[in-house]
Amino acid sequence: MQDNTPIMQLRGIVKGFPNGTLALRGVDLDIERGKVHGLLGANGAGKSTLIRILSGAYWATLGEIIWRGQPVQWDNPKAANDMGVATVHQHIPLVPTLSILENVFLGNTGPWRRSLSIRSKFNELCERVGYRLDPDTLVGSLSIGERQMVSIFQALGTGADLIVMDEPTASLASEERELVYETVRKLSKGEQKAILFVSHFLDEVMALTDQVTVLRDGVAVLRANTCDLDENRIAEAIVGKQIVALERQAENRTPLPDSATEQVPRLELRDLASKGRLQKLSMRVARGEVVGVAGLLGSGRSELLHAIFGSDTNATGEVLLDGKRVARDTGAAVRAGIGMVPEDRMAQGLVPDFEIWKNTTLPALGSVSVMNALPVGERERERGWEAIRMLSIKASSPEILVKELSGGNAQKVTIAKWLFSDVKLFLLDEPTAGIDIGAKTDILRLVRQLASQGMSVIVVSSEFEELIAVSDRILVMRDGQCIAERNVHDTSEHELLLLAGGQSAAPEAARH
Amino acid sequence: MTIVTENHVTPKAAVAQGTSVPKTNWKRMFGMQEMGVYYALLLLIVALTVITTYLGQSNYLSVQNLSNVVYQSSLIAIMAVAMTVVLISGNFDLSVASVAALSAVMLIGNADAIGFWPAAGLAMVVAMSIGLLNGAIVQFVGINAFIVTLGTMTAVRGLVLIYTDGRSLSASDPAVIATMKAFEGGRHDVFWLVLAAGAALLAFGAFRAFQTRMAGKRLRPAVLAMVVIGIFFLLVSWASGGELILRNPVIYMAIFTAIVWFTLTFTMVGRRVYAVGGNSEAARLSGISVTRYKLMAFVFCSGAAGLAGILFASRLRSINPAGLQGAELTVIAAAILGGTSLFGGAGSVIKTLAGALLLYSLTNGFNILNLGANWQGLIEGVVVVTAAAIYTVGGSKTKSRTGG
Repeated sequence: MQDNTPIMQLRGIVKGFPNGTLALRGVDLDIERGKVHGLLGANGAGKSTLIRILSGAYWATLGEIIWRGQPVQWDNPKAANDMGVATVHQHIPLVPTLSILENVFLGNTGPWRRSLSIRSKFNELCERVGYRLDPDTLVGSLSIGERQMVSIFQALGTGADLIVMDEPTASLASEERELVYETVRKLSKGEQKAILFVSHFLDEVMALTDQVTVLRDGVAVLRANTCDLDENRIAEAIVGKQIVALERQAENRTPLPDSATEQVPRLELRDLASKGRLQKLSMRVARGEVVGVAGLLGSGRSELLHAIFGSDTNATGEVLLDGKRVARDTGAAVRAGIGMVPEDRMAQGLVPDFEIWKNTTLPALGSVSVMNALPVGERERERGWEAIRMLSIKASSPEILVKELSGGNAQKVTIAKWLFSDVKLFLLDEPTAGIDIGAKTDILRLVRQLASQGMSVIVVSSEFEELIAVSDRILVMRDGQCIAERNVHDTSEHELLLLAGGQSAAPEAARH
Repeated sequence: MTIVTENHVTPKAAVAQGTSVPKTNWKRMFGMQEMGVYYALLLLIVALTVITTYLGQSNYLSVQNLSNVVYQSSLIAIMAVAMTVVLISGNFDLSVASVAALSAVMLIGNADAIGFWPAAGLAMVVAMSIGLLNGAIVQFVGINAFIVTLGTMTAVRGLVLIYTDGRSLSASDPAVIATMKAFEGGRHDVFWLVLAAGAALLAFGAFRAFQTRMAGKRLRPAVLAMVVIGIFFLLVSWASGGELILRNPVIYMAIFTAIVWFTLTFTMVGRRVYAVGGNSEAARLSGISVTRYKLMAFVFCSGAAGLAGILFASRLRSINPAGLQGAELTVIAAAILGGTSLFGGAGSVIKTLAGALLLYSLTNGFNILNLGANWQGLIEGVVVVTAAAIYTVGGSKTKSRTGG
């Protein structure tokens, strides 16, 4: 096969979901042998959908997949695997109770659990990659970096020619990252494998990849050789201009009056920390202030919220709400007036088998009850209707089970449950992840409204344009540490992206 | 607090809101998943009636026989109702039968010395402290409830053997025996009560139905249930021919079930138990003390087992250390027949009660038909698995509708 024909070509890939969202709208992608192809995009841009289509987990609604010059139709991951496409997933799916050897050859169909041929194959792999692992160690006892290597070995063990790596370095420490980079270089340059490398970190994309494709809203907006690009251009391509109207609002927003910061702060954190997740942090949040927390996955942004809310039982330090200490448990936090909208709404925010009304009244059941003990169905349903009206939830009645709602509407229910009690501080963890633009705007507008009524909000998001649109102040987190704090008028999405992505902020900081 | 976002609410929703009465999905309401256990119970009773009539045996459908079935099932039903609460809270308790046996042993072993009521109190305290132990290990050490209660089931049975030294114990003090007789063996004629309750329910239900009808609203399922239960009570009192004698355990069971049903259905505690089982993380992040609720469910379940043990001991006035062995499986089977989810968050004590009655009707039917005990295990097993299959298949259908 001649070298310059791409080994994998995608032509006009479209993927729609039953609930009506269009994750991909006609994406073309060429991946060549011996090259590392970087795939970038903000959350919800369609990266993971594209990867799932490549690895056979999803069907493409429209479009063609051409593999080694032949159009193919994969209907399960095994089929894709057999033809030479292997995927290294972000959350590494290994069996922790089996040894490294058994995990690497998990897909093998031989009759024996251990055999000499497998062992020699494993040694061969080690030599190819230039990294040794003890084949008999249990995967459960490995560090995350080593597990990442095991799953790369697993991909290689199938003899794949195209290896898709979904954010392989997101949760790794820097020396472990080096190891992964080393391996990727060796595989592409030494063995002529094609590699699709998905990442949020701009510096590693610049250093590692040969070509780059940037997705935005399900469309490839940038396709170029890495050597013709710089980080600024990539960042601009990722950002786009989506929520222009809200950003304009942000420009017009008057800064908080100084008097607000002089009063007893709404929230004060004193040396809040959590071992291994969050380094010591002290800060103040004023009444009516919206603080954005920018950071990538694993940067400690959710951990900060859980530490404040008291759901992280290992957290140390003090949390003061309106000058009063809040005990470190969730019941006390709710009574004190803190509301939490967690990141994973179905797993943490909602009871999926409950109706909308039962979910909306869960934290403040006493206020719809007789004698603080017997909830009154009528009142609760009225709450449900109110929630539907206030947040424009698309549901025909509060009797709908929340598991039947689409992502955006379920998210609104998660927020709605805090709107009926005396909540003074909202903690929103990725409130707009995976929801459509209409619901997104509704939620962002709601955040501003809450702030204008004197409530304080802390918003975590990996979509920095939204943070700029809603926040008064933005903290940037990386590696469990708050590495920068910016007033919203003095920063740009671009700068945040560089800060969170690990680029030194020196040239940008010079501006201030 | 007023929050105004752009109003996308469709006019249709606004109209529905005016009536404020939720639309009832009657088809689902009467589907196998919701009502299956009642259908099965009804079907079994009809089948047994037809067969016994055809074979010319004593009438199965006599009030005498049916009240016997209820009496036999009462202890298991009490434990199954409490088990349902544990299952709803997302846990599991295998130790109930052993705890009941321990409670029975504590009662019989001490009643002669300290009197019936103090001994019964002691038995309850011992039973509930084992529940506390179960719950504490599960919640604070974080071991799976199945393993923990498998352990306590065996260990508590061991305690029973140690305490009794492997021999049967029996009560001999006449005063104690008299109290036991009064406590367990008492009979009450509830004919007028049932008749009055039936009439009241029927009248009230019919009145509400008429009211909603006139107001042009939709019929609520609760109203229909009132009418149906009213008619059922009237039928029972009619069939009993003026004398409906129930024994004490049946009355205790009815009161106990009614209280648990009321708590689960109408109180904040009940809602939180369902929330804790449905998604404990969401409940925790809503400020609910998940640990306390799960712990209390264990204590409650063991307390109910203690009560069942006291009733059991009072019935026999003696206790064999192997007594009630294996009953935990019947208890769990009754809860499963009633559609209680083993994953937590779903279940109904009324259906569990129907499940217990179903199991004992089967046993009773086998005895009447002289089929012998050999077939019983096979048929019971098939019934439980079939019930679980119906619930699971029905459940996964609703899931696939939403899965994307």
